[in-house]
Amino acid sequence: MKSIFIGLVIAVSTLTASTAKSTQSTVSIKEFVSSYLQMKNAFTQDNSTGAADAGEKMEVAFKNFDKSVLTPVQKKTFEDVEADAKEHAEHIGKNSGNIAHQREHFVLLSKDIYDLVKTFGAGQVLYKDFDPMANNGKGAFWLSETKDIKNPYMGKAMLTSGSIKEEIK
Amino acid sequence: MRLLNKILISIGTLIIGIQFFRPALNKSNQVTDTDISKIVTTSDTVQALLKNACYDCHSNNTNYPWYSNIQPVSWLMAKHIRQGKEELNFSEFGSYSPRRQLSKLNGIANSIRDDIMPLSSYKLMHKNAALSTYEEELLIKWVQQARDSLSVKN
Repeated sequence: MKSIFIGLVIAVSTLTASTAKSTQSTVSIKEFVSSYLQMKNAFTQDNSTGAADAGEKMEVAFKNFDKSVLTPVQKKTFEDVEADAKEHAEHIGKNSGNIAHQREHFVLLSKDIYDLVKTFGAGQVLYKDFDPMANNGKGAFWLSETKDIKNPYMGKAMLTSGSIKEEIK
Repeated sequence: MRLLNKILISIGTLIIGIQFFRPALNKSNQVTDTDISKIVTTSDTVQALLKNACYDCHSNNTNYPWYSNIQPVSWLMAKHIRQGKEELNFSEFGSYSPRRQLSKLNGIANSIRDDIMPLSSYKLMHKNAALSTYEEELLIKWVQQARDSLSVKN
């Protein structure tokens, strides 16, 4: 009788522990990270249409994101980023053929996605790279999934310009 | 000949008819608390430049020219103003989140530097909206100062 009771206690506690864990991991910003990286890679290839496609993908990701799983504090951060990032994604999506304009928005979008990653975790290792010459000489950073420098602001003209500033785990 | 008359009369009627359909005017005489001049330090010179070059489409107060009384001119204008305000509204700048305020300021400097704004079609009709190099630099410097002051605040 006693052993049944102990067994029951263990079963219940593992069950609650696992549900607690699963609610925590439901906040996934994978869609934002993947569309961001797709966009970044298109820019490194000077591919304006590819960047626009990724921008549209990110817009959809924002539309489909379920905010009900967020805590009030998380929600505040998310909505602050969302209002800004959605607009950048939309502009990048609409401006296929005008890569200079798309890259201007990408400067600010990179900051937004960085903040999302810092708050929620990317689920993968990312590198924060910086190029002091990008953004009209004011400098700009971007996020990358690889250690090699591939500069989305300069593209093929100066692909390896820049350096790693931070490894985000 | 009779047919031609009929066509001319119907076109005339149509033109007169559409004069009665006017979109609501984008007019507000008070400066709102969310106006950009209340959020960041804006000199009178910069304020005047913004009013001349930007506010017709990017604020709650348009300075209408005489021909805006003729249709379909005001319909086209109303559309431009709606789209312009959607993108950036100087009268409601204070209601944007801090992050968006910085983004918008960046966008202002970029559009001026890249000669996207003011629109060339707008400059064609508003000669004093065309910015000289000096005026452009003035605005870009103002944007930079505004960005710095907001970054410190947040």
